[in-house]
Amino acid sequence: MIVIKDLHKSYGANEILKGIDLHIKKSEVVVVIGPSGSGKSTLLRCVNYLDVPTSGSITINNETITRKTNINHIRAEVGMVFQHFNLFPHMTVLENITIAPVNVRKMSKEEANAKALELLKRVGLESKADSYPDQLSGGQQQRVAIARALAMEPQVMLFDEPTSALDPEMVNEVLDVMKDLAHSGMTMMCVTHEMGFAKQVASRVLFVDQGKILEDTTPKELFENPKHERTKEFLAKIL
Amino acid sequence: MTSIIEYFSELDFEFVKNSLWLLLTGAIVTLEITLVAVSFGVLIGLFVGMAELSSYRLLRIPAKVYVDIIRGTPLLVQIFIIYFALPNIINMRIEPYIAAVVACSINSGAYVAEIFRSGIQSIDKGQFEAGRSLGLTWSQTMKMIVVPQAFRRTIPQLGNEFIAMLKDSSLVSVIGFEELTRKGQLIIAATYRSFEIWAAVAVIYLVMTLTISRFVSYLEKKYNSKGHR
Repeated sequence: MIVIKDLHKSYGANEILKGIDLHIKKSEVVVVIGPSGSGKSTLLRCVNYLDVPTSGSITINNETITRKTNINHIRAEVGMVFQHFNLFPHMTVLENITIAPVNVRKMSKEEANAKALELLKRVGLESKADSYPDQLSGGQQQRVAIARALAMEPQVMLFDEPTSALDPEMVNEVLDVMKDLAHSGMTMMCVTHEMGFAKQVASRVLFVDQGKILEDTTPKELFENPKHERTKEFLAKIL
Repeated sequence: MTSIIEYFSELDFEFVKNSLWLLLTGAIVTLEITLVAVSFGVLIGLFVGMAELSSYRLLRIPAKVYVDIIRGTPLLVQIFIIYFALPNIINMRIEPYIAAVVACSINSGAYVAEIFRSGIQSIDKGQFEAGRSLGLTWSQTMKMIVVPQAFRRTIPQLGNEFIAMLKDSSLVSVIGFEELTRKGQLIIAATYRSFEIWAAVAVIYLVMTLTISRFVSYLEKKYNSKGHR
């Protein structure tokens, strides 16, 4: 589904990613953990080219991204959820969800609205369709953001620390939606500090440090039997 | 001292009453030229403002040069260049109305460009990224997500620009365009009632600017309150 080969990313002289190789299969849930500044968010953002890699290749669904690739086509298949939600504040919840299906997929307004309401039901917010984002709590906003990404029927979902900006009591409502999604067979790549989530739903956990993947294994193995010193240190600090 | 008192005791605002209609027609022309100039200004400013933020030098540099030249020279000189100097080059007379609209629009465009540039820059980068991550193109994201928010955020500055242009449009009176200030001059030339007429002209400008600034505050409140957009 996603094949990443020898991915490098530098900002000026500062090399963030130093050669990432990764293969994600359909329906896998890959959780990426690591200290801040390790490059885990950059890795995620390279997958849909929000950050343009310095070198290396990314292949999604057998299509390798090059300069000639229509990146909007790729992005339409790759949903993304941000740490700070990034809902559009001047649009209602319904408009937030339908803007991409209507303008990218050329879906009719009626069809898009019906689908949006269905998705809102799925994330438990069907009553908020006509609200504006600033009338919702953080947890509700993030659930809308997930519905917005799902409205494009993506083949992969990327989550960039989706619960880091939330009040503690709202973390679970978002994680529950993500767990549902994982169980429905969605291919997911998720940068998070929620180790409970990683243990419960991840098919694999990657430990990233200083721009490299140090461990790539099952959650059980990583949490109970980490191989690298750095992984042990990191886990000792956060658990 | 006595001469001042004498002067004021001789003031006769009957003249204002008699010429009020004439002044008000001038005020409408002033409003009209301001509206036209700022509308063109918004159109020019939107493109120039985005060009200023472009990563292409070919767009960015001309935009900056335009903004610098217009903001760095007096509107009066710009009006003179378009009305007196340009006809010599193109060998064609330019009507005062056309010259006035062109000069004010070009002038307004530069100020509005700066307003939009800072407005667009003030929108969180995450908004742009969210749009692009959904598969929207650069221009779709700009048109539907970034610019509408920047526009709302710049309502106060756009209002100020409108008020500034309304006042500065009095400068086009020098090329004989009959807006409010020019009408005042003409009435005084016929009546010699300088104080009364200029006071009336000032009051009319003041009523217009205060009304507009109230309206802008109302718009600002409307667009910035929760749940009403």
